[in-house]
Amino acid sequence: MSEPNGLLVNGCTNCHSRYLPRPGRCPRCGSDRVSPLRIPARATVLAATELSVAPAGFATPHRLALLEASDGVRILAVARGPLPALGSVVNVMRDADVYLVVDEGTPVASPKPP
Amino acid sequence: MPVHVSAAVAGRVGRRPEGLIDLLVEVGDRALDLAGRKPVDLLLVGAMAAGALGETENLVPQLADRLNLEGASGVRVDAASASGAAVFHTAVQELAAGRAVRALVLAGEKMTSQPVAEVTRVLARSLAPSEQAAGASMPALAALVAQRYTSRFGSDPAAFDAVTVQFRRSAQGNPNAQFPTPVSREEVASSRVIASPLRLLHCSAISDGAAAVVLERGTGPATVLGIGQGLDALALVDRTELTSFKASRTAAQRAYEDAHLTRKEVDFAELHDAFAPFALVDLEDMGFCGAGEAAAWFLDGSTGPDGRFPVNPSGGLLGRGHPVGASGLLQLVEVARQLRGESGSLALPRPPKIGLAQSIGGLGTHVFVTLLGAGSGEVAG
Repeated sequence: MSEPNGLLVNGCTNCHSRYLPRPGRCPRCGSDRVSPLRIPARATVLAATELSVAPAGFATPHRLALLEASDGVRILAVARGPLPALGSVVNVMRDADVYLVVDEGTPVASPKPP
Repeated sequence: MPVHVSAAVAGRVGRRPEGLIDLLVEVGDRALDLAGRKPVDLLLVGAMAAGALGETENLVPQLADRLNLEGASGVRVDAASASGAAVFHTAVQELAAGRAVRALVLAGEKMTSQPVAEVTRVLARSLAPSEQAAGASMPALAALVAQRYTSRFGSDPAAFDAVTVQFRRSAQGNPNAQFPTPVSREEVASSRVIASPLRLLHCSAISDGAAAVVLERGTGPATVLGIGQGLDALALVDRTELTSFKASRTAAQRAYEDAHLTRKEVDFAELHDAFAPFALVDLEDMGFCGAGEAAAWFLDGSTGPDGRFPVNPSGGLLGRGHPVGASGLLQLVEVARQLRGESGSLALPRPPKIGLAQSIGGLGTHVFVTLLGAGSGEVAG
């Protein structure tokens, strides 16, 4: 259930950085030459945390993962399942304003066949 | 024009029955007494969440009324959890520019009247909208930074425990500290998980508290040598680095340049340890050691009061408590008191000549660094 067409990101045609869609100019170089493009909806887990205290309105335990997708795109995603392991590769999808980790991750040592 | 601290007062930090205004009036009155009740023409107030947590607004007139300072000018200054340092910097700039003669600088926060989840939500309003939407909190993002730090440098995670142990030990001598009792590494490492790998005793507390200083033109026993601030991308995912805060490095560089000093001339520091791992990141960002080296410094005692570079002899945010808008000014009070020889049992074994305070607003997004010097021969930037 990941994004079949990939994740929508912004690409800066000036500094070539890629980042999650956000209003305004490129956060890295300030250019307004920004256009949407898609990248594969798979990302490596850089860090992950389980919260026992969350902001009001969020149930606990609440799990968050810091991910890195292709082209250096970083994503803060909610993990509704178990906490994904550091270094594993997970599928990501966007649900309204939030990114979700949609599986438990694949260890880097034994990658899934494409 | 030089500016110096002529009075420095820290209020008791913890769960206080008073409201925000009363907390501020208490320290303000004491500071005005210490400064000999000389006329004050500038009243500046720092607070992060006076409305949302303290349930009060219009702070300057409220305080001018209580402190009989209706003749002064003033504004409230906000820089999230660095508000206490930001308001100090604003006063320094006004005095240095010759627009005022003597300033009463107040900073405070009232946090304990709200439930923990509500306080967590209010503090998280400092984060990027995308982070708030994901249910991120300050401890959650600090936990991610801590993991990246450990992964990148292969550092011993016990260094985080050692930070808390050191600061809680120092806080024993601080009559205003919320946590004046020591803890062992085992107690830290077995306290309940807040945001893995961060545990309760790695996280600063929800606290009430306030601080006050009187700043005057001219030099004195605690003279402002330099100030600097820095900003960074709001969202963690938009940062170029995850194990260092660019805003801290920028603020430090600007403060050192402003003071015409190098880090080697600094004798001790009060760093923003809202979370134990930040003490490591801060020590590196201020330039006191190289990237990835701070863990060893905390593990081998180099940062203790009698170590080669004392950090947070007051107990820091972890020992003193963290009334968010007040902490930056509480740090500066501690630095000034060390330089003025007023620290009592917290006094460093080697009397310092130059001290640094670093205060972080948000998750490393807005940082203020201040350099203070003892003696009257120093020149302010």
